[in-house]
Amino acid sequence: MHALEIRNLRKTFGSVEVIPGADLAVEPGEFCVFVGPSGCGKSTLLRMIAGLEEPTSGDILIGGQRVNDLPPAKREIAMVFQSYALYPHLTVAGNLGLALKQAGTPRAEVEAAVKRAASMLALEPLLQRRPAELSGGQRQRVAIGRAIVRRPKLFLFDEPLSNLDAALRGQTRIELARLHRELGATMIYVTHDQVEAMTLADRIVVLNAGRIAQIGSPMELYNRPANRFVAGFIGSPSMNFLAAERSGLTPPAGAVELGIRPEHIALADHGIPARVTHVERLGHETLVHTDGEAGHITLRLVGEHDLPVDQPVHLRPDPARAHWFGPDGNRCD
Amino acid sequence: MKRAHILVFLAPAVIVYTVIMVLPLFATLQLSLFRDGGFVGLQNFRTLFGDTRWSASFWNALGNNLWFFIVHMLVQNPIGILLAALLSSPRLRGAAFYRTAIFVPTILSFVVVGFIWKLILSPIWGIAPGMLDAVGLKSLFSPWLGKEGSALTTLALISVWQFVGIPMMLIYAALLSIPDEVLEAAEMDGVTGWSQFWKIKLPLILPSIGIISILTFVGNFNAFDLIYVAQGALAGPNFSTDILGTFFYRTFFGFQLQLGDPNMGATIATVMFGIILAVVCVYLFAIQTRLRRYQF
Repeated sequence: MHALEIRNLRKTFGSVEVIPGADLAVEPGEFCVFVGPSGCGKSTLLRMIAGLEEPTSGDILIGGQRVNDLPPAKREIAMVFQSYALYPHLTVAGNLGLALKQAGTPRAEVEAAVKRAASMLALEPLLQRRPAELSGGQRQRVAIGRAIVRRPKLFLFDEPLSNLDAALRGQTRIELARLHRELGATMIYVTHDQVEAMTLADRIVVLNAGRIAQIGSPMELYNRPANRFVAGFIGSPSMNFLAAERSGLTPPAGAVELGIRPEHIALADHGIPARVTHVERLGHETLVHTDGEAGHITLRLVGEHDLPVDQPVHLRPDPARAHWFGPDGNRCD
Repeated sequence: MKRAHILVFLAPAVIVYTVIMVLPLFATLQLSLFRDGGFVGLQNFRTLFGDTRWSASFWNALGNNLWFFIVHMLVQNPIGILLAALLSSPRLRGAAFYRTAIFVPTILSFVVVGFIWKLILSPIWGIAPGMLDAVGLKSLFSPWLGKEGSALTTLALISVWQFVGIPMMLIYAALLSIPDEVLEAAEMDGVTGWSQFWKIKLPLILPSIGIISILTFVGNFNAFDLIYVAQGALAGPNFSTDILGTFFYRTFFGFQLQLGDPNMGATIATVMFGIILAVVCVYLFAIQTRLRRYQF
């Protein structure tokens, strides 16, 4: 039985088709990340699972049960919002306990659940404070705690780290991964940040214009992108695309385009001629931007390299790491 | 003087405010301490509270005024909040129409409103008896504005009808400022419908309700026009609709056989000022500071 199953789910707003039809199954205990550029429908998909948005057609099953007609609170799910959405008039304890109290849980049980969640997230000293008296990171932890307290079958996260600064984001990412291990819960996580997707996910669902472009583990997406969109979206700096005849490699039948990641291309004595246009030195690596007949190509070199701008160079893609795409944008091997 | 420019920039506002607000206020306070051109100290106040006829009129007006205020607090503000809650429901169609329709009476003149309602409720040419008759409830009709027991409440309800749009608008704005995500979080937590209103929305609009209460209080204790238009300066029947405003008007300017008495009028005005000042201070210092304002 799947923790979550989506069957041919469609959503239209007026005449605009946001999700033209999605099928997906998430296994129990899985950390599943929806990733895609803004406007790709990932939040809409999450909101339909949550019950905050009504699907135009199709089925949503949570734990094998069809939940299309259930209100959000009855779906045994919990959601963490981007803006945290804490209740400003309640203390941290009040925020954590409201759902259980509303469900009529005995007071002692509510208190125990609040305490357990608070200790998991190091919120005990803050229980009597109000959201206005908390920092951004603390508010985020309260929002996560509010979800934990309910012991849901499914956790939904809607870009929960976007409002945090870079340092806190990295820290909270690790925190979330730890929480996922400890709780063993099924989590669905929406983000536009591929670093979050790659580091947190067991499985990534890449969405493009409402369609699922590929589903796979982070390394599958990195090593075998199914199409040009996924290839370009996963990886930073993003993959270089060259016309097959300018690649210097022998393309397989039907391939018109070579995709090669910046880290899989090297400087050589012979190969694609190009000219250095810009160099970014990061210490542990150097990013070299070049331009030539084959178009703009980015290289990622390990360590420090001193290349003057305008220097002519020759580039050689690693044939073992080449990705070939047909005229329809799909992978061909 | 390095800071002389501050005085220069403040001067226009201070001068205008002083001339049209502060000076008349002090002139009134001063007037209440004089009689027949001579300084009499607090003698006028002693007359107002000590003389049986003066004090009976005063307490009658104050009591009526209090009832006028209570009706507004119990009827106008809860209905305003209810209407705002209904208006902010996303499922309501034609919200813009209702919003405008309910707010329109607020911009009408007191004279128009008072006259219209007098006509509607008139037992002779009014449409109220006929309308009640049409639904078989004619026995419920009575000339409400003409009976001592019901005249004041009727007038208060007319005023509620006219001004219910103001609390509605203020609460509506406060409800709209609650972020959608907070309400969605409440949906997820199972706090829906009326429970969501009581547990989430109401606590978040409490500061607005406080402001509305104090505006209602100041408005009601300064009221005059509606009573004057509907019942005349004698605030009939038998002074049953007499509030501080009408009492002051008769005293200061005189009416029919009663001669105007600027000194006693100023005394009443001073007492009204004191009552409003005291209540507003209690609100500002004791209640307002305890109400939390929320930033979302």
